[in-house]
Amino acid sequence: MTPIVRLSLGLLAAGIGLAGYAEGADKVRVVATIPDLKSLTEAVGGDLVEVESLTRGTQNIHEAEVRPSMMLKLRRADLLVENGADLDAWVEVAVQSANNAGIVRGGRGRVEISRGIPLLDVPSTRVDRSMGDVHPLGNPHFSLDPGLAPVITQNILGALVRVAPQHRADFERNRAAFLARVDEQMARWTKLMEPVKGAKVVVFHPVYVYLLTRFGLVQAGALEDRPGIPPSPQHLASVVRQMRAEGIKAILVEPWNDVKLANRVAEEAGARAYVMASAVGAVKGADNYLAAIDYNVTTLAKALRSP
Amino acid sequence: MQALVIVVVWLALAVVARPAHGQEAEALRRELEQLRRQQEQYQKAIEALSERLKRLESQSAPVAAPPGGPAPGDDAPIAAPAPAPSAPTLTDLARPREPFALSGQRGGGQLLFDVGIAGDFVGTITQRNVDKAEAGTFAGRENRFFPREVELSLFGQVDPYARAEVRIEAGEEEPGSETDVSLAEATLTLLALPWGTQVKLGQMRTRFGYSNQIHEHDLPWIDRPNAFRNFLGEEGLSEKGFEVTVVPDLPFYLEGLVGVFDGDNDVAFGYGKLSQPLVTGRLRTFVELTDEHAVQLGVSGASGQTPDRLRSHLAAADVKYKFRPDGWQHPLLTVGAEGIYSVRRVEDELGEKTSRDRLGGYAYGEVQPWRRWAAGVRYDWSQFPVVPGREWAVEPYLTFWPSEFLRFRLAYKHTERSRREEFSDNGGSGRLVDELLFQASFILGAHPAHPF
Repeated sequence: MTPIVRLSLGLLAAGIGLAGYAEGADKVRVVATIPDLKSLTEAVGGDLVEVESLTRGTQNIHEAEVRPSMMLKLRRADLLVENGADLDAWVEVAVQSANNAGIVRGGRGRVEISRGIPLLDVPSTRVDRSMGDVHPLGNPHFSLDPGLAPVITQNILGALVRVAPQHRADFERNRAAFLARVDEQMARWTKLMEPVKGAKVVVFHPVYVYLLTRFGLVQAGALEDRPGIPPSPQHLASVVRQMRAEGIKAILVEPWNDVKLANRVAEEAGARAYVMASAVGAVKGADNYLAAIDYNVTTLAKALRSP
Repeated sequence: MQALVIVVVWLALAVVARPAHGQEAEALRRELEQLRRQQEQYQKAIEALSERLKRLESQSAPVAAPPGGPAPGDDAPIAAPAPAPSAPTLTDLARPREPFALSGQRGGGQLLFDVGIAGDFVGTITQRNVDKAEAGTFAGRENRFFPREVELSLFGQVDPYARAEVRIEAGEEEPGSETDVSLAEATLTLLALPWGTQVKLGQMRTRFGYSNQIHEHDLPWIDRPNAFRNFLGEEGLSEKGFEVTVVPDLPFYLEGLVGVFDGDNDVAFGYGKLSQPLVTGRLRTFVELTDEHAVQLGVSGASGQTPDRLRSHLAAADVKYKFRPDGWQHPLLTVGAEGIYSVRRVEDELGEKTSRDRLGGYAYGEVQPWRRWAAGVRYDWSQFPVVPGREWAVEPYLTFWPSEFLRFRLAYKHTERSRREEFSDNGGSGRLVDELLFQASFILGAHPAHPF
């Protein structure tokens, strides 16, 4: 291959890349910190937005590594949708290096979704690191509670309207259509969960407290005795004793957590560990918001019904 | 007569004082009454809000009712639901108001910047001749355990347009009971500038190279690489001035940086005046090969003057690769390397001006098969910036993190130098150095996330 041919091919590839890059330029460019919020923003924004997530569902979102590729996405963003409640505080480091004045804290292109969310597990005592990686503002894993979809999408709608007011009517229509679908599914999920209402489960990390509360289930314990710190053998032994004594049949675990350990504890306790969709994309078949909730609800219903 | 005067004065004072007392009491009564009225108003408002909340909660909306929280109206600012407030007492209402409260009724952290402390303690054990020559990694502190850096960090948003960061540092510079406290960094970053630019000004660790900008307790090893210690000193290139960064809107990540500083670093520069400033520059890019593989590349340059008004130039290049398998919370493999090249005008023994060009660098690899454990090795090779000769070192190390905020590290370091002349103080010798290094680091409070 002659140098001229190589150069031409290189220029062609660069041209194609730039053309693709320019194609999305007329859309509202949104960056969400987690895939759940990406999915919900797509639901509200429809074809008018181009949404990217800074993390993947298979990742532990608490400890996401700040990569320059995040800064690149943030550099171009018209809007940053962050979860808040300290779940994705790492995004601040990426924002500071992205040099995008529109999305700095207090900017019009930034929205914290935890606004208006009544957080659960808010510590009622003094909090320090001896309690592990505890969230002082409350449990931040609210995004996959279908009952909170109206508040979350309202926050997203407000932010989208701020950066693209000309599309207000479209965003509102998309949101209403999406919430109608959530309502429809909610009726099915409620029916599915009705027979197992009041059942107890053990979790690895307290990711599902909103979902469990929504459907009347009880989080009886956690494999982590302190969030973010690997559990001690003594604590695991006490969890096993508790599960046996209370007849708890299920341990819910995130794909990024120690699934082997959850399986071992479940075996000891005569129960089963279930890998849940801790976020959109965390497991196969949980590719969007509704699918992820559907996966979790179906898994829970099956797990708690089985003899 | 004198007694009469005293009596008259007392009577006069009593007459004047009584109405004053009376007026004060009346004023207090009025204030109290006003506070009572306010309290009644608050009580009424609380009852009305509670009633409204109850009504909303009792409405049967299949989706729109989150546990305990109503969906806000369209496009209206969404206020967090009030946490079941109790009626303020008269004492609460009468309490003097601060311009802003750091804690108390508003809750911890409101309007307060982030505060964190990072502690970094190191220890070394080495041969007696190295100790005598003060030729160990931490020169003058061989065979000691000491606080290298205890850093108080205060950082937060100044206003919607700027952010500030202040770091005050204490550490042992020389053996003894004294610990030096100094201002390590104090910077203001202007965030709301156009065209993807940002300006950071103040005193800072300059973004020259990769490892120079990392604080001691955040380094992936116990000590700074030999080449950077030789070319920039133990503290690295920490300067006063400003840096302008630009991240152009391109399809790939590219960060450009230009810095202008006093040039106080007396190992590489040292002229210390803006009339002949130290100018730095850096280009950094990042390639995400897949979700699991990522590479960061950077090139840097610095040019300034020595105290003798002779030019000194530095160039550096760095690369870092990380492999993080899908779903892992930590990288399995990290590999990095950094090289530095120095060209400096010096006066030789005959007083003639001549150029010295010198080279140094390091490469390291680290594997982290478990979340809490990592093992790695670093290889250093460096010439000395002015005097002839070179040194190399190899440093295997083991890291253990009991939690995200606590870390212990153990390393063995073997160093060989090509000459002993500069490392033979007090009759000792630093030509061959074997050291056992130990590090304990902790973080209290806030600490920003670590970049790639």
